[in-house]
Amino acid sequence: MAPVAYFVRRFLFFLGTLWAAVTLNFLIPRLQPGDPAEAIVSRLAGQSESIDPAQVQAIRVMLGTPDGNLFDQYVQYLGAVLHGDFGISYTYFPYSVTHMIGQALPWTVILVGVTQIISFVVGTLLGTWAAYRRNSRVDSVITLGSTFLGTLPFFWLALLLVYVFAITLRWFPERGGYGGGSSPGWNWLFISDAFQHSVLPAVALLITGPIGWIIGMRNNMVQSLGEDHTRLAVARGLPRRRVAITYGARIAILPNVTGFAIALGGILGGTVLVETVFNYPGMGRLLLESVSSRDYPLMQAIFLFTTIGVLVANFLADLLYGFLDPRVRKVESV
Amino acid sequence: MALLEVDHLSVTYTPRDQPANRAVHDVSFHISEGEFVGLLGESGCGKSTLGNAVLRLLSPPARITGGRVTFDGVDLTTADEEKLRELRWVDLSTVFQSSMNSLNPVIRVHAQFADTFAAHKVPGDVTERATELLELVALDRRVLRAYPHELSGGMKQRVALALALALRPKLVLLDEPTTGLDVVVQRGILTRLAELRRELGFAVLFISHDLGTVLEMADRVMVMYGGEIVEDRRAADMLREPRHPYSRGLLGSYADPRLPDVRVSYIPGRPPDLSRPHTGCLFAARCPHVEDACRTTHPDLLPDRHGLVRCLVAQSDRLPVVTLGSADAATTLGSHFPATGTLDRPADAAEAAPVLTVTGVSKRYTTRRGLRTSSVEAVRDVSFALRPGVVTALVGQSGSGKSTLARIVTAVERPTSGEVRFTGDDGTDVRVDRLRGAALRDYRRHVQMVFQDPFSALNPTRTVAYALSRPLANFAGLRGAAARERAAQLLESVGLAPAGQFLDKLPHQLSGGQRQRVVTARALAPDPRVLIADEPISMLDVSIRAEILELLGDLVRDRRLAMLYITHDLLSARLLADEVLVLNQGVLVERGPTREVIGAARDEYTRLLLDSIPNPFAKAAAG
Repeated sequence: MAPVAYFVRRFLFFLGTLWAAVTLNFLIPRLQPGDPAEAIVSRLAGQSESIDPAQVQAIRVMLGTPDGNLFDQYVQYLGAVLHGDFGISYTYFPYSVTHMIGQALPWTVILVGVTQIISFVVGTLLGTWAAYRRNSRVDSVITLGSTFLGTLPFFWLALLLVYVFAITLRWFPERGGYGGGSSPGWNWLFISDAFQHSVLPAVALLITGPIGWIIGMRNNMVQSLGEDHTRLAVARGLPRRRVAITYGARIAILPNVTGFAIALGGILGGTVLVETVFNYPGMGRLLLESVSSRDYPLMQAIFLFTTIGVLVANFLADLLYGFLDPRVRKVESV
Repeated sequence: MALLEVDHLSVTYTPRDQPANRAVHDVSFHISEGEFVGLLGESGCGKSTLGNAVLRLLSPPARITGGRVTFDGVDLTTADEEKLRELRWVDLSTVFQSSMNSLNPVIRVHAQFADTFAAHKVPGDVTERATELLELVALDRRVLRAYPHELSGGMKQRVALALALALRPKLVLLDEPTTGLDVVVQRGILTRLAELRRELGFAVLFISHDLGTVLEMADRVMVMYGGEIVEDRRAADMLREPRHPYSRGLLGSYADPRLPDVRVSYIPGRPPDLSRPHTGCLFAARCPHVEDACRTTHPDLLPDRHGLVRCLVAQSDRLPVVTLGSADAATTLGSHFPATGTLDRPADAAEAAPVLTVTGVSKRYTTRRGLRTSSVEAVRDVSFALRPGVVTALVGQSGSGKSTLARIVTAVERPTSGEVRFTGDDGTDVRVDRLRGAALRDYRRHVQMVFQDPFSALNPTRTVAYALSRPLANFAGLRGAAARERAAQLLESVGLAPAGQFLDKLPHQLSGGQRQRVVTARALAPDPRVLIADEPISMLDVSIRAEILELLGDLVRDRRLAMLYITHDLLSARLLADEVLVLNQGVLVERGPTREVIGAARDEYTRLLLDSIPNPFAKAAAG
């Protein structure tokens, strides 16, 4: 089968899943019991007092709660999603949800994206090295070392970093995305300030990030180095390094590519733990705040973003896989 | 000086939590330039380990614990990586077992040739050279652009052979090069190999468990048992007069299916556990000629009638004379299995009312590629009947539609047209191709399968008792102690006695033959009327195949089962079946009583199948 057909099929599959995700995102909140407007009023007013219908109506108008039957709402919702209109945030009124996400997204994408990519590259290289020198001292140090680091609780590591490098040594700021002296924009002061603030969270992410990739890569590669075609490559007198790369790592990396794509997609959801510990103004903290203040439009939009991120990343992984592994392009017989 | 000299070589596996296992023990032999040497033995005898040791491809926990391998004057056991790398493939190449896995799945065939040339700095155009090499093995140059998964098993093995000859080596080590391939494909590859050897003059070490192939191809044959070479002599002499009782047993398990009277023998028992210390001859426990001295003295490999043999009885010339394949061979060799033609059958078997009738069945598969659809007719207008107490063999190449028919008969698939009827004990008549739900489930208890691979047909994490309890619970409603008791009876009926020893074993604790017996017992659990056996012996060792055939034959007779025996192996069909159906590309081309179809084939395709079987006896008669 021509590769084009493979890619077309993956794309159609992607569109189908995307539609299902968007629809579920619409349906699930509407299947939940209770009225958000009443909930807000009763929270504002306190449990004891009775609810004034006029107040509820006012809130409804303010929030733009939809009317019409479920199908009309669905059509409206699809149109709004296509325009990137997710309504107004309850907690950050009068800012729109889109605005809030636009504020938080760059922080997360840069911090988590960069550390994820570095983790993947470093992890894959270390895993390859460990497998290449299997059962040597290098292998023991890498494998045991990463297993040990992997058992440490992430938040504890992060707090330790804050305590040592921010509070005791005062090398880096302890919290936030940028200091009070600078304001966001393309100027040197802000960029260097933001970089200073991102060092500690980045280090925390980089300590634990590569572990999964190391273990996965090492184990896959040890297996692919034991395959018949690898032994035959050795018997053919191919240089050891060539065997390790083309016959070992080339095949071992395949499952990790999928894992990496999913991890990249998950970035949009933010890294709640690290953003909370460092009080970092990203998507994770936004999500946490929206959940604790029951900001439904914001929550819903963040969930949708995360889903779309994972789907897009998966789709890209499929495309990449089509190039990396010729076997998946094979036609599926009916 | 010989091209390859192996001198007192020993290889030991030292796994971390298990006792050390001396897989190869004190093996010495040599191969001269241009010589074709066969290394024959059953699984676990150490032949592949020996091959890997010669190539220095052993990986932990296996390692060479003694002796030397000298190739063309270079000591391979001590040569450093770089020296070894330069020598590899240039002088010494290999083809692995056709496990379909010896080519890198993610790069094109062209790249695998390019890799090889680049590693040895061969000048010139890769495509041109690779095309020439592919022509040697009768493959089109388009193969170069293919990925391994796009090629058939036979094509992959041809590519592997072309790759092995790429640098014109002096010695090619072939490790089971045609195992798992279809008999006609195997014939093509072996013929080409023999021609190439005459043209190019390389020496071959041919490792296989397939006695017919080895004896037909090789100048000289070495037989390996329990990590030792037990016999080494010219192939023609080995055929005429094998001197080790084990070689005799192996040869006894082979016969020409076309002869009017076919008998094969088998070797009872199983190979020795090499992780335990042994005194005396390793084969003593299974040997029909064993003497007291054999149990205390370990024999040496000593010259004997133009060859070498490791047997005290043969060395002191007390071995009884035996003509293989004859009736008295059976008594001398201990056990035997005569072909069905000579077995007692209930006289009414042929006239008994059929239990399963297949009438005009066709099956069409449709594949969709984008908007185009193409269809393949896997089976076309096939009719046959299965009768109680009768074995019907369905023979044909892979892809001939055998398995499709099995799936239709077991109601896993429905035919595109035609009908399948099942007549129950009580005379009820069912249209199998229309069954659904409860009726389908009820039908399945009457039709059971014995699978090809006993290693994957059993759940590795569950005991034998559990495997047998499932069908007993599903079809007979037996549970707990009642099920266990019935399971024990089933095990004894397939020759696993006392059953108490086997009930709580896990599959990996059993030998291949024992596993296949458990699979058979499981098929018998719902007390079926029809047994479908799909290549039930092809994964088993040669010396025990006849044993499983005998079991299946007895079950059919004693329980009045109807059996559909699916195989590409005409010898086993000749031994077990009363009648034979020959299937070619989904069409039945020949049918009739076994002795007539195989002894005097009329159809061209049946003759092709018969001619493809390796036949060392023909070579011996010609030479």
